[in-house]
Amino acid sequence: MSPTRVFVTGIGIAAPTAIGTDPFWRACLDGIAAVAPVPSHWLDYYKPFSTLWAPLPAFDFQEYNVNRIERMQIDPATVLGLCSCKQAIDNAGLTLRVKDEKKNTYTLEGLDASRCGVFIGTGMAGIASFALNQAFHCFSPIKERLGEDSRADNLLRMPTRFNPFAVSQIMPNAAAASIGIKYSFTGPNTTFTNACAAGTVAVGNGFRAIRAGRCDVAVTGGAEYLGDEFGGVFRGFDIAKTLVRDCDEPEKANRPFDAKRSGFLFAEGGAATLILESKEHALRRGAKPIAEVAAFAESFDAYSMMAIDPTAGSIKGMLLKVLDEAGLAPDRIDYVNAHATGTQLNDEIEARIIDDIFGTRPAINATKSLTGHAIGASGAIEAAVTALSIRDQAVHACKNLETPVRDLNFVTVAGPREIRAALKNSFAFGGHNAALVLVRP
Amino acid sequence: MTSTTVKERVDSIVKEVLRVDSAKIVPSSRFKEDLGADSLDLVTLIMALEEEFKGPISDEEATGLKTIGDVVDFIEKKAALQIS
Repeated sequence: MSPTRVFVTGIGIAAPTAIGTDPFWRACLDGIAAVAPVPSHWLDYYKPFSTLWAPLPAFDFQEYNVNRIERMQIDPATVLGLCSCKQAIDNAGLTLRVKDEKKNTYTLEGLDASRCGVFIGTGMAGIASFALNQAFHCFSPIKERLGEDSRADNLLRMPTRFNPFAVSQIMPNAAAASIGIKYSFTGPNTTFTNACAAGTVAVGNGFRAIRAGRCDVAVTGGAEYLGDEFGGVFRGFDIAKTLVRDCDEPEKANRPFDAKRSGFLFAEGGAATLILESKEHALRRGAKPIAEVAAFAESFDAYSMMAIDPTAGSIKGMLLKVLDEAGLAPDRIDYVNAHATGTQLNDEIEARIIDDIFGTRPAINATKSLTGHAIGASGAIEAAVTALSIRDQAVHACKNLETPVRDLNFVTVAGPREIRAALKNSFAFGGHNAALVLVRP
Repeated sequence: MTSTTVKERVDSIVKEVLRVDSAKIVPSSRFKEDLGADSLDLVTLIMALEEEFKGPISDEEATGLKTIGDVVDFIEKKAALQIS
């Protein structure tokens, strides 16, 4: 018996370039990128090597079924996860019914909730809330001792209270749990914390759960918020010298696969939700497939916490495995949505891997050249971009790619492209690698 | 800050957090017994009041706030203290 086919039937996106799948995808095709100076008060704490980031646009969370009271109780990463989830539910054509007005929870009409699972990736989970609560914990007695006469007030930034919901704000499973509670999904509910590959791993595990017959519907994706009040998360990446260094011309600083790349552009955060359904379930309710997930594979470098293994043996093995599962030869891949962070090492090795396995045939682009790097959300955002590219048979360009690191088929002008099969891969700190093959349904 | 304003603001927060009918929003209403608040609701209510009135409410202070009227009196007294 052939395995259950799995369709992507709904997509939601919250990213630095736009909130909402349609505006986000339009911005991608128009080559609109997000970049701005880091918040000036971060510079009161230290002098960073990198001075740029990709901030999120302001948005009204109440449009995405998050009320003001809930907002006080959850981390921004969870807000972003809920924002992309609501979009994906609407995009999938599912109908909501209010379950409990006080708790602001819903059920989805016509779905067997016990057959709906939630699979969410995150790198840092509620770290911004941790920082804020810790600031209150540490600074409030200092502020009290200093009294009125404090020259350190600009540094002693803290909320008015230690949040009584601190634990559920911070815990890594908060976004997945919030989505499950909000929409009453009672199937498997799991969080994946594989740094920059977390979103990809989450989508892949949702795919596998449907294939294994454990779910009919999988709400998959990633949610990340890295813009803590003090810039401490930024500092962690900055001190490791992973961030863009060449900041004099902000619009040109973020340049994956370019010879002059100097690091990745730190994103304030982001989220994407992909609703996956078994073919039978999707057809039964008349859902229109956006793309089909054909295969998922993972591997681990066992090499370094911070650096990609230069031999790339583990990544190449994973790519051959994912192609094998999809039943496709390398020359059948028309499009590669690359990990493409813009660091010296990643892009050089990734370009070599693509060259070795796929050669110069597939179109290649770097979504992070537009959005910056939203760590645990990035793989999900990019899987969503891959699905939208298949739906519309079009690809976005690599921003700021002037002198490619290798002679490959990099997309420098956005436009139509025939895509029957595409690859999305992600490589993470720690050494986690993940790859998805998406095909035209 | 007039008494009506504080009362209106407290009523509105109670309604937003506990989602109860306006008819039940009277000064004598007890959060637990009359408005069905559980312990998480009470914590949330205090947090929302802190946000609305821009100041901390200690656990000791919160323990004494059993009714809507208690909250209005407490906030008015606290405001009076800050002004004086």
